[in-house]
Amino acid sequence: MAESLLQIRNLSASYDESFVLKGIDLTVYKGEILCIVGESGSGKSTLIKAICSDKSVRVTEGDILFREKRCGHELLGSSIGLVQQNPEGAFNPLRAFDVQFKETLKSHKRELDKKKLSGIFTTLGLKDAEKLLKMKPFEMSGGMNQRMAIAASLILEPELLLCDEITSALDVSTAIAAVDELLRLRSELGVTIVFVTHNLGIAANIADRVAIMYQGKIVEIGDAGDVLRNPKHDYTKGLLRDVPKLKLS
Amino acid sequence: MIKKAIVKIVSLISILIVLSFFVFALLYLAPGDPAEKRLTSQGVAVTKEVLDAERERLGLLKPFLVRYGEWLVRVIRGDFGVSFKDDMPVAPKLYAGLKNTTILAMTSLLLSLAISFWLSILSAIRKNGIADNIIRLFSFIGNSLPNFLISVLLMYFLCIKIKLFPVIAKGNVQGLFMPVMSLSIPMTCRFIRQMRTEFLTQMKADYVVGMWGRGVKGRYIVINILRNSIGHIFTIIALQIGTLMGGSVVIETIFRWPGIGKLVMDSITARDYPVIMGFVIIMGTIYVVINQLSDILSHCMDPRTNL
Amino acid sequence: MKHGTRREKRLRNRIIATAVLALLIILATTFAGILAPNDPYATSASSIRMAPGAQYPFGTDNLGRCVFSRVLYGGRTTIAATFLLVFISFLIGTVIGMLCGYYGGILDTVLMRLADIMLAFPQMVVAIAVAGILNAGMTGAMVALGITMWVSFARLARSHTFSIKNEAYIQAAFFAGKSDFYIIMVHIFPNLLAPVLTNALTQIGTTMIGLSGLSFLGLGVVPPKAEWGSMISEGRAYIQIAPWAVLFPALATIITIIIFNYLGDAVMDYMEV
Repeated sequence: MAESLLQIRNLSASYDESFVLKGIDLTVYKGEILCIVGESGSGKSTLIKAICSDKSVRVTEGDILFREKRCGHELLGSSIGLVQQNPEGAFNPLRAFDVQFKETLKSHKRELDKKKLSGIFTTLGLKDAEKLLKMKPFEMSGGMNQRMAIAASLILEPELLLCDEITSALDVSTAIAAVDELLRLRSELGVTIVFVTHNLGIAANIADRVAIMYQGKIVEIGDAGDVLRNPKHDYTKGLLRDVPKLKLS
Repeated sequence: MIKKAIVKIVSLISILIVLSFFVFALLYLAPGDPAEKRLTSQGVAVTKEVLDAERERLGLLKPFLVRYGEWLVRVIRGDFGVSFKDDMPVAPKLYAGLKNTTILAMTSLLLSLAISFWLSILSAIRKNGIADNIIRLFSFIGNSLPNFLISVLLMYFLCIKIKLFPVIAKGNVQGLFMPVMSLSIPMTCRFIRQMRTEFLTQMKADYVVGMWGRGVKGRYIVINILRNSIGHIFTIIALQIGTLMGGSVVIETIFRWPGIGKLVMDSITARDYPVIMGFVIIMGTIYVVINQLSDILSHCMDPRTNL
Repeated sequence: MKHGTRREKRLRNRIIATAVLALLIILATTFAGILAPNDPYATSASSIRMAPGAQYPFGTDNLGRCVFSRVLYGGRTTIAATFLLVFISFLIGTVIGMLCGYYGGILDTVLMRLADIMLAFPQMVVAIAVAGILNAGMTGAMVALGITMWVSFARLARSHTFSIKNEAYIQAAFFAGKSDFYIIMVHIFPNLLAPVLTNALTQIGTTMIGLSGLSFLGLGVVPPKAEWGSMISEGRAYIQIAPWAVLFPALATIITIIIFNYLGDAVMDYMEV
């Protein structure tokens, strides 16, 4: 297989004084889309927080390595991009996008490259970059804010993009569009994507590989087709039964 | 937008009308009628004939609402009537006092803001740290101190114990120090408490997490937090103006600062009602206008808030 | 979860400790008649401005009155007036708030508009003018502060009545033919008591500051009645010779207000948990 980008070795971590991650082993390979599926409370968001070295998560055991080096907050943005669940949450609602894009870039000692940005905008299906950048987040819809959040992550050209439940706050059609855009991003920019969701349907549509999380552990991991067609773990079987009409691509 | 502006102006005017009516009615709350009060405050022996003549002269025989209307028209023109004490127009006295009070109040306000702004940022960023705990303790105590108490204690320790300042203020910069300190200490403490809460609320906002997730530098995050706090800070300041006005009455009386507050206390002692009424009208109007302005400003700063 | 209950416990202990202190102050001033070593109003030409000692623990003032006894009696004046004022505002405000919230309509619009306007005035400015014009001692000062104080209670009671009103059990009581009065007293009032009482508690410190401030200005109690603000004001004239006549009532004021403010803050924190 391809080279590994992110390696998680035997990770245990606690959040809010209770243990939520127990002995996680996970490798993310360059160029793939890995979906982490689990219900709320399964620890999937805590895992993302741990990768981002969020201070509220305390790692008690194990390592998280990015390109063979320990993960730290300094990787956020430039090497690891993070897009969060709440589409309104990525930007200060009261300030224009262009200022906020510039602040993001300056934090990583870069300048705003208009051409590159409009390229990203086009990939994301956003038109009229100039006008959009002059607008303020509170004036725009959730879907638009979500795209802008993805754009802000991509402008820093991270190798790995973490998407935490980014479709759950969107309506169905916007969610489908977002998924299409992520697929296009991968094919056009070659970004590696870790996509966290509780929605098996979306996972089936987007993932190369799927990891199923349950009670702080990864109970099953493998190629999307294998896991979803021939689940081995009881929990996965249960999950699949609960999805009424699952379209497998 | 135009509709909003009209609503704003109408509410401003209606508040001022109620205020003026309230002030005019105040005169009738006190025992005795205005003619009698006027005569007693001038030390004239009140007989039936003198009283009736005075009532006629003051137009007290007209219906209440007519008198209110006439008085209101004069007030709008800036004529607050003549003093019961010396028959001099009240307005110039009030304006002279207002000028001195403004100097005192603005100095205290700016000083309090300058101090509380930095301390509350420090306190919020280092939440639950040593600095935060010390700042919180002091601001809690300061918030619990009436300003007359602060001024008496300051006077005792600074003027009498270590003789740093003269006890009675002169109208100069040195004389300004003690009254400003007395007004600033409790105000600074209130500002710190309120601003700290505001900054903490902003620090918990979603966008801070979002920026952190993009690896945005701390100083840019601070800029964003400050930018979004401004609207609320305007409101916090505007609400403190009322406390400042009440406080300046006390402080001016203690330190004999020739402001509008000392004027009104002297007038209360002398039962000089037109001055008291003028005082409430002027201070009330300033307060109401400042608060409406702060509403507009915070709406400009954060268009999501209702006007 | 565990975190929350531990914090709750800590807060509860804080509240109990502060409440005990507050109760001590209330008791000490209520039983001033028993605790005071001397008559607070007895002047004595032979013991003017005496330093604190065995007979006069806090010394004597300009007229030879015992400062300690006056601090105790003065506390009674301040605390009783504060509690009475807060209680009356609580009563008036809550009744208005519940009526507005329950019936809505024109009554609600008019009263709440009035409340808004009341809040638009600078409270202390109005209080000073009203107390000054009324010239009616402590009652005048209480009326002056009360004019604007009921508003916060009314708003709180109104918003809670609004949210309770639409609960199913209220509808049920209504369809069971219970009278409005019954519903308000039995179903609504007990449910909004906690937040409104918390508000009352947080108002105590501010009210004390306001009342003693008015007394300091000579707009509250009429001398020779003992009251902390007016004692400080009187003692100020001879602070150089007899600082104890100012410092002890000042200390009493500071401690009392701090305790009540702290109690208010702690209870508010507890309610938010």
